[in-house]
Amino acid sequence: MCSLSHLGFVELTIFPTVVNLNRIKLNSKQCRIYRVRVNDLEAPFIYNDPTLEVCHHESKQRNLNYFSSAYTAAVSAVDPDAGHGELVIKVPSELWKQGDEMNVLKVYIEFSLDQPKGGLHFVVPDVEGSMAERGAHVFSFGYQNSTRFWFPCVDSYSELCTWKLEFTVDASMVAVSCGDLVETVYTHDMRKKTFHYVLPIPTAASNISLSVGPFEILVEPYMHEVTHFCLPQLLPLLKHSMSYLHEIFEFYEEILTCRYPYSCFKTVFVDEAYVQVSSYASMSIFSTNLLHSAMIIDQTPLTRQCLAQALAQQFFGCFISRMSWADEWVLKGISGYIYGLYLKKTFGVNQYRHWIKEELDKMVEYELKMGGVLLHPTFGGGKDKDNPTPHLHFSIKHPHTLSWKYYKMFQCKAHLVMRLIENRISMEFMLQVFNKLLSLASTASSQKYQSHMWSQMLVSTHSFLKSISNVSGKDIGPLIKQWVDQSAVVKFFGSFAFNRKRNVLELEIRQDYTSSGTQKYVGPIKVTVQELDGSFNHTLQIEENSLKHDIPCHSKSRRNKKKKIPLMNGEEVDMDLSAMDADSPLLWIRIDPDMSILRKVEFEQADFMWQYQLRYERDVVAQEESILALEKFPTPASRLALTDILEQDQCFYKVRQGACFCLAKIANSMMSTWTGPPAMKSLFTRMFCCKSCPNIVKTNTFISFQSYFLQKTMPVAMAQLRDIQNLCPKDVLNFILDLIKYNDNRKNKFSDNYYRAELIDALTNSLTPAISISNEVRTVDNLNGDVRLILEEITRSLNMEKLLPSYRNTITVSCLRAIRMLQKNGHIPSDPSLFKSYAEYGHFVDVRVAALEAVVDYTRGMHRTSPSEVSRTHPIPYVVHKILSMLGKNPPFTKAAESPLCNEALVDQLWKLMNSGTSHDWRLRCDAVNLYYTLFGLTRPSCLPLPELGLVLNLKEKKAVLNPTIKPEQGPDTTEMTGITMGGLITMETVSSVSMSSGVAPPPQGLKRKLDSVVGPLGSSSPEPGQVLQEEDTSKKFKIRFNTVEEDEIDMESPHDSQAFIHHHLNILERPSTPGQHPAVLSLPVTPLPSSFGKESTSSSKHSGDHHHHHHHHEHKKKKKKKHKHKHKHKHESKDKERDSHAFSNSPASGRSARSPSMSD
Amino acid sequence: MADPAVMAGGFTFRGGKATSSPAENYQLARRRTLQVVVSSLLTECGFESAEKAAVESLTEMIQRYISEVGRCAKAYCEHTARITPTLSDTVVTLIEMGFNVNTLPVYAKRSQRMVITAPPVTNAPVIPKALIAGQKRTHPSHIPSHFPEFPDPHTYIKTPTFREPVSDYQVVREKAASQRRDVERALTRFMAKTGETQSLFKDDITAFPLIAARPSSIPYLSALLPSELELQTLEETDSSEQDDQTDSENTPGNNLNDDPGADKENSMLPPGGVVPSVKASEENMIDNPYLRPVKKPKVRRKK
Repeated sequence: MCSLSHLGFVELTIFPTVVNLNRIKLNSKQCRIYRVRVNDLEAPFIYNDPTLEVCHHESKQRNLNYFSSAYTAAVSAVDPDAGHGELVIKVPSELWKQGDEMNVLKVYIEFSLDQPKGGLHFVVPDVEGSMAERGAHVFSFGYQNSTRFWFPCVDSYSELCTWKLEFTVDASMVAVSCGDLVETVYTHDMRKKTFHYVLPIPTAASNISLSVGPFEILVEPYMHEVTHFCLPQLLPLLKHSMSYLHEIFEFYEEILTCRYPYSCFKTVFVDEAYVQVSSYASMSIFSTNLLHSAMIIDQTPLTRQCLAQALAQQFFGCFISRMSWADEWVLKGISGYIYGLYLKKTFGVNQYRHWIKEELDKMVEYELKMGGVLLHPTFGGGKDKDNPTPHLHFSIKHPHTLSWKYYKMFQCKAHLVMRLIENRISMEFMLQVFNKLLSLASTASSQKYQSHMWSQMLVSTHSFLKSISNVSGKDIGPLIKQWVDQSAVVKFFGSFAFNRKRNVLELEIRQDYTSSGTQKYVGPIKVTVQELDGSFNHTLQIEENSLKHDIPCHSKSRRNKKKKIPLMNGEEVDMDLSAMDADSPLLWIRIDPDMSILRKVEFEQADFMWQYQLRYERDVVAQEESILALEKFPTPASRLALTDILEQDQCFYKVRQGACFCLAKIANSMMSTWTGPPAMKSLFTRMFCCKSCPNIVKTNTFISFQSYFLQKTMPVAMAQLRDIQNLCPKDVLNFILDLIKYNDNRKNKFSDNYYRAELIDALTNSLTPAISISNEVRTVDNLNGDVRLILEEITRSLNMEKLLPSYRNTITVSCLRAIRMLQKNGHIPSDPSLFKSYAEYGHFVDVRVAALEAVVDYTRGMHRTSPSEVSRTHPIPYVVHKILSMLGKNPPFTKAAESPLCNEALVDQLWKLMNSGTSHDWRLRCDAVNLYYTLFGLTRPSCLPLPELGLVLNLKEKKAVLNPTIKPEQGPDTTEMTGITMGGLITMETVSSVSMSSGVAPPPQGLKRKLDSVVGPLGSSSPEPGQVLQEEDTSKKFKIRFNTVEEDEIDMESPHDSQAFIHHHLNILERPSTPGQHPAVLSLPVTPLPSSFGKESTSSSKHSGDHHHHHHHHEHKKKKKKKHKHKHKHKHESKDKERDSHAFSNSPASGRSARSPSMSD
Repeated sequence: MADPAVMAGGFTFRGGKATSSPAENYQLARRRTLQVVVSSLLTECGFESAEKAAVESLTEMIQRYISEVGRCAKAYCEHTARITPTLSDTVVTLIEMGFNVNTLPVYAKRSQRMVITAPPVTNAPVIPKALIAGQKRTHPSHIPSHFPEFPDPHTYIKTPTFREPVSDYQVVREKAASQRRDVERALTRFMAKTGETQSLFKDDITAFPLIAARPSSIPYLSALLPSELELQTLEETDSSEQDDQTDSENTPGNNLNDDPGADKENSMLPPGGVVPSVKASEENMIDNPYLRPVKKPKVRRKK
């Protein structure tokens, strides 16, 4: 019916702060700009986006170093923080004088957006009914500052202004955006309504978002200013999932002693979300998959955590924004830190400490593998020369050049560093600092007409550190220098000896600071020693050359006295001390128990010490560490310690889960000496099976969540057991099969879908490689008996899922993994077709990702299909991102290994993908870069012919002729790769858009805006982040209308002048000027890609069906025009011109205009 | 005269067909007599000959008529609590059927009436013996003996085929599990057989058939919403658990809280969220911009 497009206009009010303001640079991507006026005068403009195609005269360059520097340069060239932009508007000379007098400039931009690939995502289910009935919706998305994808703006987090936003949408839709909804008004024909939003709090354009859809509305019962939106039919889930939100609100407001800064808050749950949580000013967009009913256990904490994250970012990230990219860590750190406080309060200290340990381990592992993560990069005067992170294959100068994984670790490190600061200055001071930042910001935000005050709403590393020193009076300089200004982590190796004569513990702590990702640590370190007489903390100084530390012991080794042993927390316990060394009073030793250094510790102590630590240390981190260590000590004593922990109700459930897996490993190591039934079997029987018949599991109740999690985990761990033939013991397999058989959930108020999924996982774990009899084809007949049973279960479960789907299709996901494992182990023929069918668009996203993972795995194992084939999917950004990162994680080959897949065609595909194919999504581009790095490394791929010999200069035209190594069948591959984008577009075309229009227009209020004055002294020097805000403008008026139809009318209206101007400049630049997919309208004749043709023809036939709508819209449009008193008479004139220009430009878009119904009007 | 050939042919035909059963023989004999009657009546009316089909039809009609008279007469007699029809029953019946009874004596005494031989004596059909179960009961003393006898015992007695139900927990679980498994297997096999399938093996497509994955246009709905079965389970457990809560929940107008799981979830969570109670009346006062009515467009004709 209608296409996926919108059209809109933006009005910026600019207060120049420099004289000679004659150029204004704005950010805009994808948008087609029709006209720009400054104070009612037509203004010529240039549109140039260097990131569309990173390397232009590329063909022979295929090395990543070259790409990375070119990409960084391209991103820098349009970096709003440096005063650059894709759109350069020339201020008409008539206004130059005014500039001298510092008068207000009003910049008015008309634009449209047609089938956006980034920035806005349209979800249009392909079913019968109106758009509202189909649940069609659209939402904005992006990685970091990506607002430029859907309207021209200064796409920077540091450029604040107030906003007025108007969105005209179909009457059945709701437009949710930032700020307060002032009113909703029908259009004159009553078919549409316009939502008027006002955001009086100065906000960066990057924090503006929008979502439109036939949402069901739920007003938060405890806080009426909070509104939740979900897709049709999900309201009951929304009610349940949101029932907890007010407590999160209360928590944050209480610890920050500050009210939520915005007057309202909106949560929107959308399908095909880009990330699970994204926060914007006064609203957050979530994935609809976070919603759950009261029956779901596992998702509940996850959803609450997501809500808490979103809300923390509302305070720090949306309300308080950052001065520059280098200050990002402060915001991520604070929001992550207060989120951690929430975790501690809601889920308990155990969960919190477990989380900290998990995050620390994750980050340390990443840094050790990839090199350091630098929180606060400072870039010296020399622009590209000194790269602070030479170890990385991408630049960290811009958020848009970062690898996604790096950014995640960056966030991780940021909040861990905040925690370190807290350790240093105490939580009280920490919260005071936050409060100070917030209250300064909220004072500033109420200064409506003093926009220079608004810089208080931006946080910088400097201002943050200053607040800390003001509030706490402490110098945290060394800490910042160590962890923020410097990348890498510390790696400790510890060992000890007990000197009996001196009664001294001789501790040796060594460091590895030479391997990648490590740094040297000098300073205090805490060591906790548990002795017979109690637990003692010692603070040692790590210095340059001292490795050994002598720690005096408090207790003599006397063990004849029966005495309770005091623990760290004051508890006194009886211990069986028979295991310990008679000469030593040491029970266990811990290095840096509070994780107050970003470090990895490898500590050596005797097995009995680990066992004591596991049993008696109350800190979950210590318990988890000892579980990890005990894997190396497969002894009956370890077994006993682990079993005891498993049985302890008091013990944190995640520790017990960890103990399960450790026990399985130990049992496998002790295979020959193991006595009794398989590990955990009797334990499980005792805990979860009926008293009268121990082989039958009790009917499910799941009342105790701790037992629930244990019950889920134990079978999975047990399935890892192996007997002497390295097979899963028959006992265990039958046991698991019985669990599945006797599983009975009828009387349970909770769903057992996760439990059943884990039982399938257990079956998967029990699989071992088939005894391969040469390379015969796997057939049903030679199927192993056990495998047959397993396969039967999997088949039945997978089939039942079709009839009674489980929550988030967890069982399907597990079954797919199981089938892949069966294939991998050679029990059934390896064949990706099943997974491919599950990977198609239209399956639940978890299923798709699981299926794609299997296909990726297949690609690796079989060396048969090209990875590009994998990416042939519907372009849900999240799914494509997943594919690329899974390929990166599980690459079909690496730079070291030879592979038939590693060929020139693949290099080209991938190169094309990162060079131009992913210009609509920063994250995808970085994913592609990562994959390229994994596959080929930094230098020129070895499979390419040497550049001197190859003559493959212009691959586009000459590839087939000049490069005989490329086999004919590789042709399709190329199109498949483009299928990521092109194929997707076609799909999106056939489905079609929610009809909507939107407008944004702020009241005359302040806005900081940097401009580029060409002659001015400021424009030429590269400004400091703070300095950028030289010129100011006060108001930004901005209107968007999402449109069903289309650009042709706008084409007509776009003034001839600017058109000619563009043509002129294009010839000079020789670059694609308009965003990716529609280069033809403004550029010289270009032969369109065949696929675009197909796309356009489908769309035009669709449009003809929507004639009525179109007509109506046209009318509406005219009215708007009149209202704004624009040169209406020029319209027809330019119409003719447009037609002419279309006639000669042989482009798909012009073809469409000619066929479009409005032309006949 | 009726055509004897016809009649004879009819008889031989039928007779040849159905000599086996005595009951049939009996009926055939009667039918034959009826046919003779019809033929003689026709002769009486002056027909020389008649087609076989016509005779058959008339026979059928007369048989129906007589049967109906008998049936009605029996009904009348039973209506008056007798078991044997009397003359008056028959008379009433005939009147009821529109027959002028007064003409009957005259007709019976008409001169040209033909005398028909009595049907050959055949054995009355033996009523098949009912299954004998139990002792046939005689009337108790307070019931007069002329009342009908008790029906056969098998129609009313209890058959004691009762067996002790299996209450052994293990067996019950075993049964429930295998029953469920059988049902599931049968169901999925059926679905797989009737629909499209995917196979894991190339050599034998029928082994382990998987119901083909079919993309749905709104995949998140089925993945997120609880299935009806689960909802049912939830209701069952709910109703058994919280009887007193349902009353307060069902207060009219309180539609923000009607999620069956919401309250339960809260009650089950660790304490910490002391939930302020939302009264139904409050809801009407919610001032939320998204709940406000959409405004009509202003007519802007200022110029």
